[in-house]
Amino acid sequence: MALKERPKPYLLPEYCKGCGRCLDACAKDCIHLSDQINPLTGLVPVELDLTNCNACGLCMDACPEPYGLRPAHEGEIQDFELEDPAKLFGVKPSDAPEPVDMPSEVLPLPRTEPLVIKGTYASALGALLAGCRHVYGYPITPSTEGAELMAKFLPKLDGTFIQAVSEVATVNMMYGTAGAGLPTMTFTSSPGFSLMLEGVSYMIGAELPGVFVDVMRGGPGLGNIAPEQSDIKLACHGLGHGNTQAITLAPSTPQEMLDLTMLAFELSFKYRNPVILLGDGYLGQMTGKVQLPETMIKPGIPKWAVYGDAMHRKNVITSIFLTESDLEAHNVHLNAKYEAMQVEARAESFLCDDAEVVLIACNTPARTAKGAVQELRHQGIKAGLFRPITLWPFPVEDLKAAIQGAQRIVVVEASAGQLEDEIRLALSKAGVHQFPEIESVRRMGGVLPQQSEIMTRVLGRKEVLA
Amino acid sequence: MSKASVFYDKFERHSHGEGLKGHATHYCPGCGHGLAHKYLAEAIDELGIQDRTVAVSPVGCSVFLYYYFDVGNTQAAHGRAPVVALGHKFANPESVVVSYQGDGDLASIGLAETVATAQLGAPITVIFINNAIYGMTGGQMAPTTLMGQTSSTSPSGRNEYNGQPLKMAELIAGLDGPVYVERVALYDAKQRIKAKKAIHKAMKLQMEGRGYSFIEVLAECPTHLKMNPEDTEKWVKECMEPVYPLGVKKDLTVDPWFKRNAPCFKGEKILSLAGATSEHPERHCKGFPTHLAPNDISLKLAGSGGDGAQTAAMLIARAAISEGFDATHIPSYGPESRGGTSYADVHVAEDEVLNPGSPDPQVLIAFNAPSLAKFGPTVRKGGFVIYDSSVVTDAPVLDPSIRMFPVPFTGIATDLGKAVVKNIVALGALQAATNIFPKDTLLGAIRTALKDKCALIPLNEEAFAWGIKSVEALDK
Repeated sequence: MALKERPKPYLLPEYCKGCGRCLDACAKDCIHLSDQINPLTGLVPVELDLTNCNACGLCMDACPEPYGLRPAHEGEIQDFELEDPAKLFGVKPSDAPEPVDMPSEVLPLPRTEPLVIKGTYASALGALLAGCRHVYGYPITPSTEGAELMAKFLPKLDGTFIQAVSEVATVNMMYGTAGAGLPTMTFTSSPGFSLMLEGVSYMIGAELPGVFVDVMRGGPGLGNIAPEQSDIKLACHGLGHGNTQAITLAPSTPQEMLDLTMLAFELSFKYRNPVILLGDGYLGQMTGKVQLPETMIKPGIPKWAVYGDAMHRKNVITSIFLTESDLEAHNVHLNAKYEAMQVEARAESFLCDDAEVVLIACNTPARTAKGAVQELRHQGIKAGLFRPITLWPFPVEDLKAAIQGAQRIVVVEASAGQLEDEIRLALSKAGVHQFPEIESVRRMGGVLPQQSEIMTRVLGRKEVLA
Repeated sequence: MSKASVFYDKFERHSHGEGLKGHATHYCPGCGHGLAHKYLAEAIDELGIQDRTVAVSPVGCSVFLYYYFDVGNTQAAHGRAPVVALGHKFANPESVVVSYQGDGDLASIGLAETVATAQLGAPITVIFINNAIYGMTGGQMAPTTLMGQTSSTSPSGRNEYNGQPLKMAELIAGLDGPVYVERVALYDAKQRIKAKKAIHKAMKLQMEGRGYSFIEVLAECPTHLKMNPEDTEKWVKECMEPVYPLGVKKDLTVDPWFKRNAPCFKGEKILSLAGATSEHPERHCKGFPTHLAPNDISLKLAGSGGDGAQTAAMLIARAAISEGFDATHIPSYGPESRGGTSYADVHVAEDEVLNPGSPDPQVLIAFNAPSLAKFGPTVRKGGFVIYDSSVVTDAPVLDPSIRMFPVPFTGIATDLGKAVVKNIVALGALQAATNIFPKDTLLGAIRTALKDKCALIPLNEEAFAWGIKSVEALDK
């Protein structure tokens, strides 16, 4: 019988917690609890008397400790450590290989005529061209068409689209795929983005890339499905619990929906951090001219990934840092990354060089504001538009230049002042305390500021200036 | 049994008595986790899948699973381990992914993820440690806590106001997704052998791409049950087992089915899916239609869902872009999926559309009376209003500088035998009324849109021609 060939057990008392599970596993009554506390462990181990042992092995199967009751030939190697091995060795000893980066490839794409597509589709195409083949999502208006396009295209590219049970599940599927080192993304809208924030915090903590396209809608609560710039504060200052930041991009045209989605993947892998792309309901639905790029990406596998193969066996994806000093060091590391991300600040300044009235807006309101600038210029008013393309990091240096000659600053936004708060915070942090009083054109609830409202605000104060 | 090589040679862990460092788990004496870890390690070893394995650590006492297993490790948020596991599995279908979870994680906070992942049925292995209590947080009531069982949040014993204990193995076995569901225990040698076999089988089924497996392990938590390990084993056998009967709950014979190709990164394929082409569209415009506006024309199309206002708007935008101009189209709908209001704002600009909204359009195409009444007064002086005279009998009186074009969109389309082409009639009328683009520009956009439904092109061309004729007839 096979059982008889098994070796007798061996136990190093220091590895025994004295639970006694092995006691009744032994039919020959070979194992007893000791009456002595082991001075090294403070526990009471079992004692073996193998006189009657028939090497059935059941005691070893009953022992919950991997290094507890072991076959004699293994156990005799008395290699226990008195010191914490993490301190002794730094890293866990393992024969797993040292992983190396498998770089992504840039592939040429034939030049094509511009497409005429809506913003969500442009973003979806951008993701495909950035090498994303794993998309998870939960239907929510007005972002769903992006997910629908992915559900249609990805099977044809042998990619994966899974409609998750919720946004919570969505972000955690992203966590898994990102943990495996692959590009992944989702389309969502404000209430769904709220639900994802727990996972975003985990992704930031575990340093995982991923792209969140949030087509913002009216809130709070269920709100409505019309466009609002309702999540600027969430993206810039509320990405779940803890010390979290992520680059936040604010496109204003379908073309930018594609370009900035591609950029989002690049930055997300560059910094091992999620990137948020904030659209608005208008932009998601808006159809416009979209020129495809001349290159596309075939992703590699970064060295830190847990891909599930020999090369990456060594890796761990976790946001746990149990020791306070370790977690503080991790936060210092994250802060250094956030600091490094400052170079990614991007903005467009439109006719700001000589502008006396500087409008500030992003997303669709920026287009309306651009129309207003043109109209104001026709009327002889030196107006300009400053459009932050990254809301975090805020392009404060560009802003400083744009408002240098400004006598008036008018923030145009479809929210209760979330963009203005970013502007004020950025100026304050940059030590700029002297700037014209900030005026605003704000609409909420799904109403976008109209060009006529901007004109009224700017022209209504003209006399005061003169 | 020998120590499986899948365990690290030395464990990373926080202090737990000097002598235990490096070779003992962080689990309390008598805890069931250690055994489940051992059986999992043995299964990975026996199946030779150490390099392919990804272990997803949950939140709970086994949060530090990654201290022990020399495999790829990912630590998940509380309750989310199964969907994290799916994310790994789909990223690398060759990987063997284990979601190892306790009862609070799997059966409480992560119930939605647990059930949805099981029903999805993709081959992953879920190992569920049911010890009827929250361990890591300190002995609170779990969804699996027995009736009458005391815990720190059911101090007088679980009662009817806390609900009944949740039988996960039965719940999961009741789903169509899983192929193998078994509940096992650890309290004696016989049960331990069964537990070991079950875990081995669950891993093997995944490895072979046969499907999702769920192993519920009735485990001991002597610390929070406040019993010695021996009594805890007895308690599991005598108190837990009657509520959570052991055995195979589901075992389907399924052929391997989970086979996924490597994703495609062929640019041509993506371009073809996107409908992108390198063919230059023929241009017919001699320049921007400055007779309408110097560099930006604002249009609004308004009707009910089904009128085709959005399609017509899209065709105008495509026509403009095929001529090298910029264009935008913003749809807006009522909350209804069908039959509600359907408005479209369109801009055509020589260089860049600055403001894509059309609050005061130069051109209005109205498909019904309410749309005409609503947007007619917003049309700019000198603008154009084209409306469906089949359905609008009383047109509002607008500024005299606005030119009105009553065209029977519906009547013409019905005569042509297809009411849905009324939007194409409208486009024909737009062309004749405004000369925004040459006929061939709009026809080109229509033909391109119908390239997969070529049979419909003649009908649409006819509808377009009738729209033109109707406007020309008005001029006479």
